[in-house]
Amino acid sequence: MIELMQQILNGLAIGSVYTLVALGLTVVFGILGIAHFAHGSLAIFGGYLTFVLMTKLGVHYFGAIAMAMPVGAIMGMLIERLAYRPVRDAPHINAFIIALGLTMMIEGANLLLFGADQVIIQTSYQQVFEIGGLFVSQLRLVVFITAVSLVALVTVLLLKTKTGKSVRAVAQNRHAAVLMGVNVNFVSAVVFGISSALGVAAGALIGALLALAPGVGESFAVKGFAVLILGGLGSLPGAILGGLVLGVSEALAAGFLSSAYKDVISFLVMILVLLVMPQGLLGKK
Amino acid sequence: MTLKTFRTLAALALSAALLPLVHAQTEELVIGVNDALTGGGAVYGLPQANAVKMAADEINAAGGIKAGAITYRLKVITSDDKANPTEATNSVRKLIDRDGVKYLLGFCCSGSTSAVASFIAKEDAVMLVGNAAERAITAQGISNVFRTRPPADFTGAAAGTFVAQRGARNVAVIGALEVGFYMQYVDAFEKELNKAGGKIIAKEAFGLRDRDMTPQLTKIRGLKPDAILVVGYVEPAAFVYRQAVELGLNVPRYGFTSGSEEQFLKVASSAQMEGVWDLRPIELTVEALGPQAKAYDANYKRIYGQEATPSSPYAYDQLYVLKNAIERAGTAKDAKKVAEAIRTLPIPKEAVMKYIANDGRAMFDQNGQAYTSNGAFQWQKGNWVYVSELPSDNKAYSSFLRSLRK
Repeated sequence: MIELMQQILNGLAIGSVYTLVALGLTVVFGILGIAHFAHGSLAIFGGYLTFVLMTKLGVHYFGAIAMAMPVGAIMGMLIERLAYRPVRDAPHINAFIIALGLTMMIEGANLLLFGADQVIIQTSYQQVFEIGGLFVSQLRLVVFITAVSLVALVTVLLLKTKTGKSVRAVAQNRHAAVLMGVNVNFVSAVVFGISSALGVAAGALIGALLALAPGVGESFAVKGFAVLILGGLGSLPGAILGGLVLGVSEALAAGFLSSAYKDVISFLVMILVLLVMPQGLLGKK
Repeated sequence: MTLKTFRTLAALALSAALLPLVHAQTEELVIGVNDALTGGGAVYGLPQANAVKMAADEINAAGGIKAGAITYRLKVITSDDKANPTEATNSVRKLIDRDGVKYLLGFCCSGSTSAVASFIAKEDAVMLVGNAAERAITAQGISNVFRTRPPADFTGAAAGTFVAQRGARNVAVIGALEVGFYMQYVDAFEKELNKAGGKIIAKEAFGLRDRDMTPQLTKIRGLKPDAILVVGYVEPAAFVYRQAVELGLNVPRYGFTSGSEEQFLKVASSAQMEGVWDLRPIELTVEALGPQAKAYDANYKRIYGQEATPSSPYAYDQLYVLKNAIERAGTAKDAKKVAEAIRTLPIPKEAVMKYIANDGRAMFDQNGQAYTSNGAFQWQKGNWVYVSELPSDNKAYSSFLRSLRK
């Protein structure tokens, strides 16, 4: 029982990061209908930026994240304005190809700017807590709490503010929203800004918990899309639940079955869920 | 003196002055370093490439390699194989076909090295392998392949005896077990552990790019082992050490990684590393090796601004093996002759690693394999400390390796 609980705890920390990545993706996909594949690479850029701010300027971990997030938001807005907006009314394949191109461009830029070596963000969170035979590291706790706080913040932003109302209006019916006077261009920019800032924070958390390296972004984008589908396309609560389910199922698969097949097994869980609930865990029927 | 006599004497004097220049012809010898310069294997490959460049500069500064009438000035060119077999094949083909390289050095990683070893026998070239530990590389006795590092299972057997002697009976293994040479290390370790009455109670694998090993470690913790054995590249191994502490897995941690302090500290804190054992070839251990190693360490730090990694002298020694062999062969143009010279070469006096001579004199055995002593190292207050030598029988291993030849 202790082992099961420990595996669930292990999975929650990584699952919370998946949630953060997926939340950014679901906001963009749900509202603008764009499969923004470059999100993972942008997240890793944010992780590298956090690392540079900490090591070159001596900024504290959270200070560095707070500085990197606005940079990510601006980058996201620029991507939306320069890459996606021109093809907004074109067939979906155009945005799809642009997303793939952007992924390669950002990956290349990361390689050029930060090199090919693996980077690990060193933090001071090194304590270990034991409660009833269960061990939790301070770092995992910090990652989990940070991810949950950011998810809560974005949820409040979307549900309780006027801007959030505009975003939801565009998500429900873009044409009606335009007729009601909602500035769609502004909403698109805000959505990309929020999504990219969340991605940057996710990158910084991944960098501290695991590592940053070329290719990691793509793998997190794939996981993010898996969560998106698992939770239900465009559903915020679905992204939260999906991320945690994916993280925990990976940990359980690696712990109780085989670590060699943990990705396969977690995707198998996703397929099984979709067979029973094609709309995803919390998607609209 | 008439003008005619003066001209004759001047011509004679000029000829006499130019005579040594005609005899001491200088040529450039291109040395190709094929190694993992980017990606996961770069922790081993980059320091190897640096070590070869350092040795080449030293040799050039001392006047180059003198072979017969020719003095060779060395030029090192590097090529990145990313520790990938396909890339390695392309990289070596490019070095041989485009750059005309006859002497190939480096080779830190087993997969990529094995791919090159599979076709190098047909080439007019000599391949000196460094850190790559896969047994098969020298098991076929290819006449132009030599390796400065001992195979992984040579060390694994010594490690198994050591861990058993320290009282561990139930050992859990976690590592990159899909990689052949790590598995060979574990198999040899298990054999010796079993002989002493111990057993391996779990074998958990991780991928080369995995960084979250908490699920496997949680499972291992549930089995209550006496010790864990970690086999893998530095970075994933460092994550295992760190996450074992985070999960309260307080048992002795043994490993086979060959990483420097600097490399481990990128991932784990010194406190998280405290007490970890690394059971590996002695490699660059200043306390165990003496003044040559000290000079190497200091030079490397001065030139590259960072600590030399434990395995980097394998590549440094390769170039001195080549230098001595070319001098013995009296030419660098005939790669076959140079390979023959390597086969009977005594351990070069410039070598940094502590090699065990084969049959009392030769550096390489009948398989083209060199052996160094194995050692037990422990992380103590931020440093790897050499604790003791692990008894290792190179003669028996050499016969075993010979017996594998098809």
